[in-house]
Amino acid sequence: MGRVIVVTSGKGGVGKTTTTANLGMALAQRNRKVAVIDADFGLRNLDLLLGLENRVVYTAVDVLAGQCRLEQALVKDKRRANLVLLPAAQNRTKDSVNPAQMRQLVAAIAKVYDFVLIDSPAGIEMGFQNAISAAQEALIVTTPEIAAVRDADRVIGLLEANNIKRTSLIINRIRPKMVEVNDMMSVEDVREILAVPLIGVVPDDEKVIVSTNKGEPLVLSGNPTLAGTAFENIARRIEGEKVPFLDLNVKDGLFAKLKTFFTKPIG
Amino acid sequence: MTADLPHPDANAERTASTPVSPSETASSAPEDPVDDPVSSAPASPELSSASAPIPDSPTPPSPSSNNLSPDSVSSDLPHSDLPNSDLPNSGIPDTDDPQTDVTQVPAGVMVQSDPQAPIDPNAQIRIKTEQGKLWAILPPEPTDKEKTLGYSWTELIQQLQQRLNGDARSWAPGSNVRVMARDRLLNSTQLQELAEVLTKAQLRLKRVYTTRRQTAVAAATAGYSVEQTIPRLQMTKPANGENTSPLAEPLYLEMTLRSGAEIRHNGSVVVMGDLNPGSSIVAEGDILIWGRLRGVVHAGSAGNASAIVMALKMEPAQIRIADFVARGPSNPPNQIFPEVAYVTAQGKISIASAEDFSRPILK
Ligand SMILES: Nc1ncnc2c1ncn2[C@@H]1O[C@H](COP(=O)(O)OP(=O)(O)OP(=O)(O)O)[C@@H](O)[C@H]1O
Ligand SMILES: [Mg+2]
Repeated sequence: MGRVIVVTSGKGGVGKTTTTANLGMALAQRNRKVAVIDADFGLRNLDLLLGLENRVVYTAVDVLAGQCRLEQALVKDKRRANLVLLPAAQNRTKDSVNPAQMRQLVAAIAKVYDFVLIDSPAGIEMGFQNAISAAQEALIVTTPEIAAVRDADRVIGLLEANNIKRTSLIINRIRPKMVEVNDMMSVEDVREILAVPLIGVVPDDEKVIVSTNKGEPLVLSGNPTLAGTAFENIARRIEGEKVPFLDLNVKDGLFAKLKTFFTKPIG
Repeated sequence: MTADLPHPDANAERTASTPVSPSETASSAPEDPVDDPVSSAPASPELSSASAPIPDSPTPPSPSSNNLSPDSVSSDLPHSDLPNSDLPNSGIPDTDDPQTDVTQVPAGVMVQSDPQAPIDPNAQIRIKTEQGKLWAILPPEPTDKEKTLGYSWTELIQQLQQRLNGDARSWAPGSNVRVMARDRLLNSTQLQELAEVLTKAQLRLKRVYTTRRQTAVAAATAGYSVEQTIPRLQMTKPANGENTSPLAEPLYLEMTLRSGAEIRHNGSVVVMGDLNPGSSIVAEGDILIWGRLRGVVHAGSAGNASAIVMALKMEPAQIRIADFVARGPSNPPNQIFPEVAYVTAQGKISIASAEDFSRPILK
């Protein structure tokens, strides 16, 4: 049985889909068999971030309705055959699937794949309940903003209530300069409230947006980027490796060094 | 820090006028506390992000408030170590908010056995030891009107699970639980969900007490024993007026209350852990937080103004005691600094350092 991990946040637009796409690709690059599931029914876009939109034929709902076999609905990645996507239906609402069906789908996929990453929709309604129903682990994505942290806290509580005990935290879009002058919550501020293990800090990086628009996860890019490296590190930590954190709190800390290290050769 | 709490007797002669803390001018005590706590007001818009009691909750925003209105929440509550500040008090103005016609029983009355009486739409599933047995007491069947106000079944189950997570030490693993459903309709799926949640907490659903035939059939079909005569529990007695119902035993929770979590208890509540922003506790007795208090607390919710709130680190969004309400301090202490919030003889909520505080101050 593979590991089933839901990527969720409470608040919208904090980077769940970006995280799912990048971690899925990073784990696939490490030669794991990975399935990513878009559980954002009605607002799917994981296929876009992976650049697979034009290959989507069937969706999860078609599988559940018996209109196709599961294997037919899984879209193979064009770059890595060991990465597949189960797309969400665009035209159906999140009510067209229930938690029991979701569990059934995921159980079938987890038999074959090492990792099943589920991209959860924002909110805590039915779509969220569906997304978490099949997961044993969760990655909470938040940005260093009060509202996002508040929602993340709420979601962690709900995960606990649903007996998902293995929860790790990803802080996305941190801007060290702003943290330095106290204009942004620091990693410590966020951790102090949420009190779950931190598995990664992803800096705010324009290249993320570029990669989103190209449908190419950052971790694929030949040139190392800060955010891409952060996602790769998270993938390694998911597999149990000890990878040191980018130190954002200290001036000229690791983060600054890393930055110069990466930017110099690129120019 | 060694917070030597003075022995109460040692300070018995202290009165409220004694300069216990420099902060007695604080807060928002309304001049005349409301007599009739039967209607509620919405959370004040002013308090938006930091103190909106329960985000995402479909229930009335401020379930426990007693005629509170935005204006009744006056200035920030200064900390015990701060100099006096001249903060204006405001009484509770007549509220004309459209939402105030929502009828509610006094906050904290969780369960009433009289189906005719209005129920608390915010009633939760309660776990209680009585007559040597462990009971899970369900809120009564809501009327159609109450359905939109009260918690949904999913919310009830989630709250119960959260409660049980923090409650694990209160009973022996493997204990049998009697479910007091009374007139509440339960279908087989709901019974199963209830049983699952109890199982996860190492409890066993044993018997269902119900007055509804459908529930009895569903329970019997699922293999539970069914009892159709309802024993009178302390918990299910209606609370007629003030202080007629004795306080329940303190509720002891070992957990972090996260955003959206709400604990309501008709006794005192002790939390070993933090109260995160966005969470809330409503207790008829005292509230003691062995950790950081950053949510909303309401002590003495049935009207007991001598109830107190204690925390290792007092950073509440809002504090309520009985009918008094105050916004949390805007400059919370940086380190652990145990403090006590109480209502002064002048009718204001005040915060004193634990070292300075002793209950006889109130007398
Ligand atoms: N580290 C980052 N740096 C810069 N931009 C980012 C970063 N992470 C995410 N973004 C941008 O933020 C936007 C939202 O990201 P994304 O779609 O992944 O969020 P989401 O949580 O999945 O949103 P939704 O709740 O709508 O599903 C996108 O435009 C994305 O490019
Ligand atoms: Mg998304």
